[in-house]
Amino acid sequence: MQNKISLNKLKRGDIATIISFEDSNLPAKFFELGFMPGAKIEIKHKAPLNGPICVNIIQNNTLIALRVTEACTILTDKI
Amino acid sequence: MKKKTISLLGNPNVGKTSLFNRITKLNQKVGNYPGITVEKREGKITANGNEYHIIDLPGTYTLFPNSLDEEVVLRTFINKENSDYPDLVVVVSEPNTLNRGIVIYQQVRESGLPAIFVVNMEDELEDKGIKIDYPKLEKYLQTKVLTTDARNGKGIDTLIENFELQVPPYFGALELPSEFSPALEEAKKIFPLETEYKTWLHLAQEEAVGLSDDSIAQLKAIRTKYNITTQQLQKEEAILRHKNINKEFENFVQKSENKKLSNTEKIDNILLHPVFGYIIFFGILFFIFQAVYAWSGPLMDGVDNTFSSLGEYVATILPEGPLNSLIVNGIIAGIGGIIIFLPQIIILFLFISLMEETGYMSRVVFLMDRWLKPFGLNGKSVIPLMSGAACAIPAVMSARNIENPKERLLTMLVTPFMTCAARLPIYIVIIGLVIPDEKFLGFNLQGITLFGMYILGVIGALFSALILNKIIKSVRKSFLIFELPIYKAPDWKNVLNTVWEKSSGFLIDAGKIILAISIILWVLGNFGPNDKFSNPEKYIALENPHYTEEQIEDDIIAFKTEYSYLGYLGRGIEPAIKPLGYDWKIGIGLLASFVAREVFVGTVAVVYSLGDEIDIEDEGQKQTLLDRMRSEINRNTGMQTYNFATGVSLLLFYAFAMQCMATIGVVRKETGSWSWTLIQTGFMTGLAYFTALIAYQLLK
Repeated sequence: MQNKISLNKLKRGDIATIISFEDSNLPAKFFELGFMPGAKIEIKHKAPLNGPICVNIIQNNTLIALRVTEACTILTDKI
Repeated sequence: MKKKTISLLGNPNVGKTSLFNRITKLNQKVGNYPGITVEKREGKITANGNEYHIIDLPGTYTLFPNSLDEEVVLRTFINKENSDYPDLVVVVSEPNTLNRGIVIYQQVRESGLPAIFVVNMEDELEDKGIKIDYPKLEKYLQTKVLTTDARNGKGIDTLIENFELQVPPYFGALELPSEFSPALEEAKKIFPLETEYKTWLHLAQEEAVGLSDDSIAQLKAIRTKYNITTQQLQKEEAILRHKNINKEFENFVQKSENKKLSNTEKIDNILLHPVFGYIIFFGILFFIFQAVYAWSGPLMDGVDNTFSSLGEYVATILPEGPLNSLIVNGIIAGIGGIIIFLPQIIILFLFISLMEETGYMSRVVFLMDRWLKPFGLNGKSVIPLMSGAACAIPAVMSARNIENPKERLLTMLVTPFMTCAARLPIYIVIIGLVIPDEKFLGFNLQGITLFGMYILGVIGALFSALILNKIIKSVRKSFLIFELPIYKAPDWKNVLNTVWEKSSGFLIDAGKIILAISIILWVLGNFGPNDKFSNPEKYIALENPHYTEEQIEDDIIAFKTEYSYLGYLGRGIEPAIKPLGYDWKIGIGLLASFVAREVFVGTVAVVYSLGDEIDIEDEGQKQTLLDRMRSEINRNTGMQTYNFATGVSLLLFYAFAMQCMATIGVVRKETGSWSWTLIQTGFMTGLAYFTALIAYQLLK
């Protein structure tokens, strides 16, 4: 069974695989920094009051931060 | 001897600038790219019997530009006629994000440029748990792969030797998605001579860099015809490239546990903590400001004394006359007035560049974005706003790396509200005049007021951002995505180099304007249109028949100032500033302040005939000035000039008004628009006028 959930709803410490992007206007920079279908991520930090989310792109071992507004358009499968 | 151009290219945070510093041995200069205000770092070296012109390009993840900085890269690569068009591109990468380095390397090769590949921070391989099979990597990239360690200089000499390398031709370009073939085929007809990938690069940008308006319109028409967007093209390319690289990746890289990242994680658990993270950040902020004000004191005194003695010395060796006065009171005083801010600027930039070098600055962006977003700003606005507390000039320049044009513009427009170092002397004098030196709840009232002025600056900036955010229309959707690099010890060479660049940049850019205006001001203050200016003794004696010789002497300077061109200007604006509680003497100070705020204290000192060599750091001299100002009577109201209402009105005026020629100049340069610059100046000065007006009318 798949647990489809948008990236912003994941909790700190959750690991998930990115499935798809709902917003076709998402800047290409997101893909270049490693957000792409199939990429495994782990939620590392969340700034309070719906602030940015810090994600570890596991394959690159890099930390990338993004805003909730973009995170809610990224669909993931929680592992 | 041949001349060759070498470009350094790579992702941010791979140590590219350290590498550049090593290669050029700091024999470099920083200028601007023609037409745009992006910093251009270049250096020259002679090696292998040739001369190399080395350019450090802004860090970027892809050739597609997201910000003004990144646009430079494509601009340099797209046109063979460009004087910076490289003979060789050195793609710099680091082990952890090798795949991202390969992506940009492939883009460069497929655009038809020769390139070699460098893996920097090689000594961290073990810590990062990575093993690279270099022969296999070389085969995959079809070029020479070199390893360096920019921190200790390992591998630099070999890298320089390889500038002469004949790079083998590159085969096997990315197979572009077939769904876009018809559009691409049509675009190829516009650029019959270009490689396929270069045509694709053009097609996949909204406003293709380096092309004529004509070609841009043609490309747009093709995209509309086939119903494709630039995002789609860029996205497909990124996904495809990463997929292809990942397929091969395991052949040449082996990864195990990354120790560096686990250290970073431990630190981040504290520094990004929802509560402690903020406490630590504000603690650091407090420490920085403490340092800026406490440490700079002795240095600033030193500068001040040096320039006073220099002035005095020059005054004695030059023959008396207007030239002497121009050099001493105009030029030397003007230069001194700029250099005096240097200690504060150096200390502030030392901290800012330390925060950037260690990787902490991205954490600040992470912590602050949530709080700045409602105002139409961006987490990255923190850097300009913080720098604005020293000087708006470098602060406005540091807004360059904000991707969204609207957020960048907003940041530049509101940064000058922050309480810069130049406002401080005025605040000290006026607070000393109108706020009682008493304790309130154990705190010194004057101290609280000064602190309040800083808060007021922040409020002014945020409040204006809120208003301007409603007015300015956004062209592009706002987004924020950034990397939090691994924490590392600062490379001191880089830190010192940055501090040097910023400070000398300030000195030259702001210096030119302040110096020019100081001279104009001196001329206006030292010449008058009529006999009252040239023969003051006669008129003083006529007006005050009972004056002794000595009293007349004392009054001469003040009298001359009143009837100089500057005095006439001051009286000319008096009707406009009367409702704020000011008289023409303050008016002169205000006019002078539009050049630069710090001029106010010196100017009023002249107007009150104390001479302009007033040092407000010196208690005795400060008291003399304060006493003289306290006893001043406003001849319009018959009341004390510096009463509570006027004082508050003046403080508000100085907090909000755009009174700095140099900032206006920088904003013009950075926004590329006179209208935004004028809107900003009008908005700030208008706000200053009305708050001062309301405050005075309520309090008088």
